[in-house]
Amino acid sequence: MKNLPRLAPVALLLAGCAGLDRLDVSALSGGYITDSQARSLTRAATALRKGVEDISESEEYYIGRSVAAQILGKYKPLDDPGLNLYAQKVAQAVSLASERPALFQGYHVQVLDTDEVNAFAAPGGFIFVTKAMLKLVKDEDELACVMAHEVAHIAKKHGLKTIQTSRLTSAFAILGSEAVKSYTPQQISQLTAAFEGAVDDVVNKLVVNGYSRDKEYEADRFAAQYAKDANYDPGALKRFLERMAQASSSGGGVFKTHPDARKRVDELGALLPSADHRRSSERAKRFSAAVSL
Amino acid sequence: MKKTRWRLFLLAAALLPSSVLAATVTVLVQETTLRKRAQFFALASGTAKLGQTFEASGPSGGWYKTDSGYIHQSAVATKKIRLGSGESVGGTATAEEVTLAGKGFNAQVEKSYGAKNASANFSAVNAMERRAVSDSALRDFLRAGGLIPAGDSQ
Repeated sequence: MKNLPRLAPVALLLAGCAGLDRLDVSALSGGYITDSQARSLTRAATALRKGVEDISESEEYYIGRSVAAQILGKYKPLDDPGLNLYAQKVAQAVSLASERPALFQGYHVQVLDTDEVNAFAAPGGFIFVTKAMLKLVKDEDELACVMAHEVAHIAKKHGLKTIQTSRLTSAFAILGSEAVKSYTPQQISQLTAAFEGAVDDVVNKLVVNGYSRDKEYEADRFAAQYAKDANYDPGALKRFLERMAQASSSGGGVFKTHPDARKRVDELGALLPSADHRRSSERAKRFSAAVSL
Repeated sequence: MKKTRWRLFLLAAALLPSSVLAATVTVLVQETTLRKRAQFFALASGTAKLGQTFEASGPSGGWYKTDSGYIHQSAVATKKIRLGSGESVGGTATAEEVTLAGKGFNAQVEKSYGAKNASANFSAVNAMERRAVSDSALRDFLRAGGLIPAGDSQ
């Protein structure tokens, strides 16, 4: 009896653990799920899934793939394996400092062979930057900031948020009545129509209309933070934007879809590098070797 | 004095958020690396695949600690995910559950979309996705560029 008070904290702790949400994984084997379990899950999907926030990781990936396919149908991919790999490494580096370093299939970068100054981020981790945009970039820290801006659009789900809710609710309704792993021709036709609308919403926003100023300013703020946390110089973002402001007379691409670069600079406060930031001759060397456009 | 200390201890134990102590996490990405330390460039201790579950503590600094290693919180969900016998789960399925079931907008929908949209260049997307940077290659890249300290991978 004398030991009871001493045991009380332990009992409390155990009670807290027992109250946790636990997965019923009794039927799981080796980390995979059966068709029967899949049916169980999808039958009920309609009830809770209502909007963009309820798009799953895998659905985000498939929407992003189709947005990427549309962009790569419109712009020719640049066949420069060294440059593409270099840009991908820089993007992956800053993505580790974001809130979403792990995506369904990771981050992927493709340089586009066009004289239009632009960069896009499709949902699910697909990043595009044009050859003309890279010509304005003067060092790896600036490239890291450009990539970080695109990573921020993905991490904050800006692309997904452009999808009209009605498209999703109709898709979720079709899903809710589904009971087998494959769809019937009629269901696939209805789902494809909703999917097509969702992809068009994102493509139009990325390529034609552009995000709202607030979303662009938000992406700039987080880009500076990611760059800093990845030990790049966040001040490189301002330097790049100031150079872009000088070049903005050409009109199209990023100049049409983004707020004025001078205003973007004004929106950014003081940008100081982290204590671990180091200048590096190796960064300068490899940038010159990879980005020789 | 001793009594007050006990009361404070009891109060702290009761208030401690249970989620900090333990949770079951489910992997929601195709594949992710488990690490020996709570750091991206720490040595790998294994690989976790979509749908695998782990008993974990945390998260702390963005990482859950499992018996198999550390896993980043962006790769998992801690929401209640019920995988029952195949009967309806009563209208409580979530986006996470749809990912695990491989449903919703999936490869079948993409195939149908591709058939209707000839201008969509999926072969270029596939080529883009094949370009992969391994953990060790990225670590070498960052180290050479002075972005992480030399030897910061143990």
